[in-house]
Formats: sequence, C-alpha cells, structure tokens
Amino acid sequence: MSAFSFSAAPIDTAGLAGPLASPAAGGFAAFEGRVRDQNEGRTVRSLEYEAFEALAVAEGERIVADAVRRHGATLGRCVHRTGRLAVGDVAVWVGVSAPHRAEAFAACREIIDAVKHRLPIWKKEHYADADSGWVNCEHAAHPAVAEFDYSRQSALPEVGTTGQRRLAEAHVVVVGAGGLGCHVLASLAGAGIGRLTIVDHDRVEASNLHRQPLYAIADVGRPKAEAAARRLADYNPGLRYVPVARRFDAELGAALLAGANAVVDCTDNFAAKFLVNDAAQRAGIPAVIASVYQYEGQLQVVRADRGGSCLRCQWPEATRDGLVGNCVEAGVLGPVPAILGQLQALEVLKLLLDLPGQLQDELLLVDLLEHGQRRLAAPRNPACAGRCVRVDAAAAHAPPATDVDLRLPLAAAVAAGYRIVDIREPMECAFEPLPVSGQQSMPLGRLLDGALAVEAGHPYLLVCAHGVRSHAAAEFLRARGHANVWSLAGGLAAQS
Amino acid sequence: MPRVRLQYFALLREEAGRQSETVDTAAATPADLYAELAARHGFRLPVAQLRVAVNAAFSDWDRPLRDGDEVVFIPPVAGG
Repeated sequence: MSAFSFSAAPIDTAGLAGPLASPAAGGFAAFEGRVRDQNEGRTVRSLEYEAFEALAVAEGERIVADAVRRHGATLGRCVHRTGRLAVGDVAVWVGVSAPHRAEAFAACREIIDAVKHRLPIWKKEHYADADSGWVNCEHAAHPAVAEFDYSRQSALPEVGTTGQRRLAEAHVVVVGAGGLGCHVLASLAGAGIGRLTIVDHDRVEASNLHRQPLYAIADVGRPKAEAAARRLADYNPGLRYVPVARRFDAELGAALLAGANAVVDCTDNFAAKFLVNDAAQRAGIPAVIASVYQYEGQLQVVRADRGGSCLRCQWPEATRDGLVGNCVEAGVLGPVPAILGQLQALEVLKLLLDLPGQLQDELLLVDLLEHGQRRLAAPRNPACAGRCVRVDAAAAHAPPATDVDLRLPLAAAVAAGYRIVDIREPMECAFEPLPVSGQQSMPLGRLLDGALAVEAGHPYLLVCAHGVRSHAAAEFLRARGHANVWSLAGGLAAQS
Repeated sequence: MPRVRLQYFALLREEAGRQSETVDTAAATPADLYAELAARHGFRLPVAQLRVAVNAAFSDWDRPLRDGDEVVFIPPVAGG
C-alpha cells in the first residue's frame, strides 16, 4: 500500500483507516477535506481535480514519510480525489496512527498542509450560474525541502568527500541528553553522523530548559530521548536517530556500543560515568567523557581502542557522588555545559576524521571564568581498578599478538608520560635520531640480556624503525611481569 | 623552604576563596602540602577523593616537592 495515492472513485474512508491500526498506536487522527458550496461569494455546484500524477505521487509519499518520522508517528496515509466531485464529497483524506494523540494530530496537520501547498493538483470549480474556472490552488509545485548541505564543512581539506562519507557511515552513542548532551547531539547531527543513539531515562523538566535548547517548553514531561530525537529529525532529517529511554547499565551498554565508533558520556554523576567508561573498555571503543561544575569543566577521552588510560585510572572510587556537586546542587550557567559539550563533539569529530591533536591519556581542565585551559598528562595508572589494566595482567600470561602495539604520535606519548626507550642500534640512532628528547637508548640485544630497569608505576614505550623489534621486545618484557610496556606500532617509519 | 605555585578548582576554589596562590611551605610532598592548606583554608575533601598534578602531569601524593613546582589540586566533578 502506497502512503499517497490518487483515486478517481469516491474515497472509502473507513477502509483506509483500518490498515493504519497498530497495537503500538494509542492515537489515531484523520482529516477529511470536503467540497463546499461556496467559494469567494459564488455558489459552487461541483468541481474537478486534475493532477500531474507521476510527480505528485512521489512527492506525496515523501510528505507522508517525512511527517511520520519527524513526529514519531506509527503509520500515515493520504488519498486525493481526481475527476468530478459533488458538494459534500471527500476530496482529500489523511490518516495517521501514533503512540499518543499529540504525534497523530501533529503529523496529520503537517501532511494536509504540505499536500495543499506542494503538490501539483489543480481544481476547476463549476458554479451555479453555469460558469466555471480554475482556482488558484496555493500550490505551484513547490520544490521539496532543501537538502542538508555539508559543503562548508567538507571544504576543509581534512574533511573532503571522504571524511564526509566517513561521518555518514559513523555510529555514535550519546549517553545523557541534558546540558552537555543537547550540544553534543546538535553538533554531531549538524556534522552528519549517520546514526546517533540517544540514551536518557529522564523526562524533560522546566528547570532543564535554560541550558538544554533541544527542548521546547511544550516538551516538559516528555521522555528526553524521544523529544531530542524528534527535534533532531526536524533539524537534519537525513540521519538516523535511535532514542533509548532507559537508564544506561552494563547490559544496555553492551548491546548499544557493539559496532559503534564512539560513546559520549554526558551524564551528571560518577556512577553513570564509570558505567560508560567500563562499557567502552569492554567494547574497545573510545569514550569522550565530560563533567561541569559551576564555571568549570573537565574533559577526558578514554582511548579504549588504543590501550589508553581510563576514567578509573584518574578517579579510582565510584563513591564520590555525595561529595561533589552536580548541576542540581551547585548551579550552572547554560554556556558552561554548552562549551564542554561542543568540545566533546569536537573530539568525536577529530577521532572520526583522524585529525591531529586528539586527547589521549590527558585530562583537560577548563575554567570559563578565567578562560584558563590546562592539559594535564594522565597516563595509565597501574593501580587502576578498571579493565584497562586488567587487560595487561592477562596479557602478561598469554600476550595476544596485537595487545602491545600503540599507534600514536611519539610527541603525544612523551606528553602522556610514557618513558621512551629507543631499542635500535647506535648507528641507526645516529643516522635517524628520534624526533623527541629525553629517551633512553637500549639496543635490543642488551634489553634481552635484562639490562633495562623497568620502574613500576610508569608506562614504557619501546621504539624501533618499523615496530617489529619493539613488538617482540615489549612481549618479552610483558612475559616477565612488566604489564605497562608498549611497542610503537609501525615504528619510526609510521611517524612521518 | 620551597616556594610553590598553587591552583584550585571547583569545590577547593570555593573553599580557598581564590583561584591560585603562591606559598612557601615546609611540606615535603603534595600530601603534606594538602594537609597544611586544608588546615588553613578549611578544605573538607579528604586526600583520597582528590587528584594532584605537579607541573602539568598527574602525580603521586608522595613525590618530593621542589622549589618552583606548580601544584594543582583537582576534585572530581560530575555535573552534566
């Protein structure tokens, strides 16, 4: 059954409504447009409709599909008459089923307005005085809604059509659609992330609105995940939004994060942040985590995909929610979560587009009163209670082939606190010095003789020309109980 | 006596009533320094709830303090 069709015969409204019923639809709204006996002071006896059907059907189907999606309705249908109609005949019929009445009314209204406005359908009225005339039918086959245009973004040489395609193919999960989440979602939808999963178990409250502009005052009381998805579908209809109005937990995390490219933590409590951190560790995907407090914010990118340090490396206990403020208790100005949320969106785009300067093994502190920013090196903590270090402990017994490789710029490793050990031969080192300073030189042979004193509590990164020797050396040291030893993937050759 | 530069965030900034300060301290480690400042400013958070960064990198609480060190006490924040 097509969502839009023409009928030369009288419209059977009851027969059309039946198939729109669904067990999930608690509301059904219908609109009937009928031939009336007056138009601009003249008595109308009958009228005729003529349509450019090929174009009108395609456009009509799009109108119904867009309205159903935008308003979260279940099913929609529209039938328009052609041919000769008498006064009282049904000229156009729209029916929409939806979970609740609000969606049904809204989608129904949008469909009839768009059909009247946009479709190439003409009406000829026959009057009582035997005269007749084509009536200006408002619509002049207006073009369809504009296409969302990413050209200002893809003009960046680092983005281009390839980067834009990468974003279109990406799936990002956003946990928390509040002060941070609204801005993360708006920016990621604007950037054209193909699939956005929105997880929030709360409903919109009036006290959220000042910092959560995805919601209108009429959304108060509605589930945030669904209200956000609806608003975003209006903003950029070309993407897929999956609202999940449930509390995030380990089980949900495992289901939602499988196959995702990144998860963004926009929750407002530590218990939830640890859950997101742990789920990202298990799924092996990056987590972009932010928190705000009054005029300050903290941002951390947990590169679980690269063996990076995690939230538990910095904050080892999950019991501090009673001690630190959240927005409810401490108060917050709207721009503070807005800015931190935008920074989170930026980090997501940086990692999806493989842009330089990605945060890893760092904590970014932002003070928006003083406009201060600090990037603090936050390397993996050997005492971390999280899985990021438990992975190492397992690796010490049976190191999987790839677990020791870290792919990152050498300078970033230095900044992150890794102790760099150059395991090449002295002649190689002299020929091509490392692009960083402060490294220790320890040719592989001496390392295998046990000459490297590995100090517990510090991460080590072994470097060679192509990452083959350093891989073997890292496995050698891991097998001797040094859990925090890594190999620079691809070696120096991969750095340029 | 080492002179260190301090920066406070969030709850600590409020309790200290300032963003930053420079102090001459007899404290040998960040842990001692925090105890000294907690007594002066009335900090309520126990050390176990905080992280400390020295010279822009997270640090252990028992590393020795040196003259000119930049010390940042960071409480966790969770708002969103």
